[in-house]
Amino acid sequence: MNVEARDRLSATLRFIALAIFVVAFFLPLVSMVVTSLKRMDELYRVPAHIFPEKPVWENYSLAWTLVNFGKYLLNSILLTILYAVPAIMSSCFAGYAFSRFQVRESKVFFLLVLSTLMIPVMVTIMPLYMVMSRVGFVNQRGLWFIWGISGIPFIIFLFRQFFSTIPASFEESARMDGAGRFRIFFMIMFPLVQTGVIVAGIFAFQWSWSEFLMPVLFLSDEKSTLAIKITMGYADQKENLLYNIGMAGIVYYTLPLVIIFFALQKRFVAGLLAGGLKG
Amino acid sequence: MAGIARLGASPLERHKRVSFYIFLAPWIIGFLFLQVVPIAWGFVISLTNRSAFPVAIKFVGLKNYITLFQDADVLSSFWVSFVYTIFNTLIGVVTGFIFALLLDRELPGRGFFRTILYFPYMIPLVAVGWIFRIFLEKDTGFLNIMLVRLGILGSGVPWMQQSPMASILLLSFWQAGWSMIIFLGALSTVPKELYEVATIDGAGYGRRVRHIMLPLISPFIFFQLVMSFIYAMQAFIQPYIMNPRVIRGNWVMLNPPPNDTFFVMSRAYYIISGQHKFAYGMAMLWVLFAFVLVLTILFVKFGGFWVYTEADEKR
Repeated sequence: MNVEARDRLSATLRFIALAIFVVAFFLPLVSMVVTSLKRMDELYRVPAHIFPEKPVWENYSLAWTLVNFGKYLLNSILLTILYAVPAIMSSCFAGYAFSRFQVRESKVFFLLVLSTLMIPVMVTIMPLYMVMSRVGFVNQRGLWFIWGISGIPFIIFLFRQFFSTIPASFEESARMDGAGRFRIFFMIMFPLVQTGVIVAGIFAFQWSWSEFLMPVLFLSDEKSTLAIKITMGYADQKENLLYNIGMAGIVYYTLPLVIIFFALQKRFVAGLLAGGLKG
Repeated sequence: MAGIARLGASPLERHKRVSFYIFLAPWIIGFLFLQVVPIAWGFVISLTNRSAFPVAIKFVGLKNYITLFQDADVLSSFWVSFVYTIFNTLIGVVTGFIFALLLDRELPGRGFFRTILYFPYMIPLVAVGWIFRIFLEKDTGFLNIMLVRLGILGSGVPWMQQSPMASILLLSFWQAGWSMIIFLGALSTVPKELYEVATIDGAGYGRRVRHIMLPLISPFIFFQLVMSFIYAMQAFIQPYIMNPRVIRGNWVMLNPPPNDTFFVMSRAYYIISGQHKFAYGMAMLWVLFAFVLVLTILFVKFGGFWVYTEADEKR
């Protein structure tokens, strides 16, 4: 067999293997959508049908009204902005510091950043909750801002890589012209790491959108997020879980992430591949 | 502070140091406020008898820790989490690596496959838990319906009740997209000439993977194993949502999962927020912290003997 034929065969086989994986990966998602369109009694009928007799679109309006979805959606968006903006900026600052201003103690600080990866989240959250409730600082959205400024270790690392690829001459000529450090950062460096900002933004969004522990500990129901409502599950008055409406709720809940991911995925994946790994 | 003395050393050095601290300041503030202080406070709490109501608090020394190591439920949780972590890590790394291998070379629809296989990783864990809970239901779950239709099964299998751990591990497959991306990045760093030279020398695909690819990307595999270990030890919400028992009411966290899947973190959460045994829960978290720390350090120190050393500077 010649090389060309062998390459074509290999590509075909790999294509088939991947196609099988993709189909398998989609089954749970199909199950989610199909379930969200069935009636509750239809779900429990044996033998079960794969597809609903008649799609019950009403589930989607019920998913919205049953838990006051709009309110929690707004809460989630608010907290996401409150977290993502400082998280991106702080990680970007830190990455810049590590890439450009290496002094003797930089290494120690970088190790500290990496070591925070090893600390289980609950080890810090639970005591923080106890301290906060002691000083009466609970149910404050401001906490998300503070979480933001403590940055994301992986993103700090990523930004450091991105900044390291920018030639130092860019800044030097600006410094000659008398630009201060913040001017240099915001006018020259920051616009050059846009891809990093996109990756960081997606990470921060994903984190704050799916975070469970913090809202459940720190926020009252009034300020709570979609993640909490989804985790609770939808139930009727007799405390039976309503799977169909629950799945409709999950479709709503996941949709913003899906849209953002597919809109930005080219740059997101490229950014991850380019910046994060070739260190 | 020694730094102050050195500040005047040279104007350039001074400017550098000032800039370094200015740009790192937000992180330092967050680190002190959200990591250092709570961790220290948590340790102090674990030495007391504190419960939800801070009355009559007194120091009890290491009593909580001693009780902990005699508590069969807690020990079983550590074991369960450990088993889960091992399997989760292996599944994630192996699946991600296979995906990356399949996608590494030219292929029609490569970008599409990469996106779709990464995609489940974007779905929040709490949603994933529910999606799979319903997917695996005995009579109504999509998986059973399909398998019965295809004639593979005679009747539906209660997956979650029969093998709760395996059901939770199914999520690790589904979310292997992250390690796939890491490995794709890793594979792109391997110089293509090396493969060509090896091919000319008559090395088949298997040998190229084993002797060229694996050694060169071993630092990434190592990194992935360590990170996955740290994260999996912290898994806590999955057992609550994929609880094989019937969940009633609309607050899944009120129904503790069975011992087979009661992870350390899930139990710590239950002890602290369900039973209000703050001090005991903190002690448990500290033992977990120490466990993760010690194992990670041991692994980094001694576990990396197979990592190709020339690539070490890259890490």
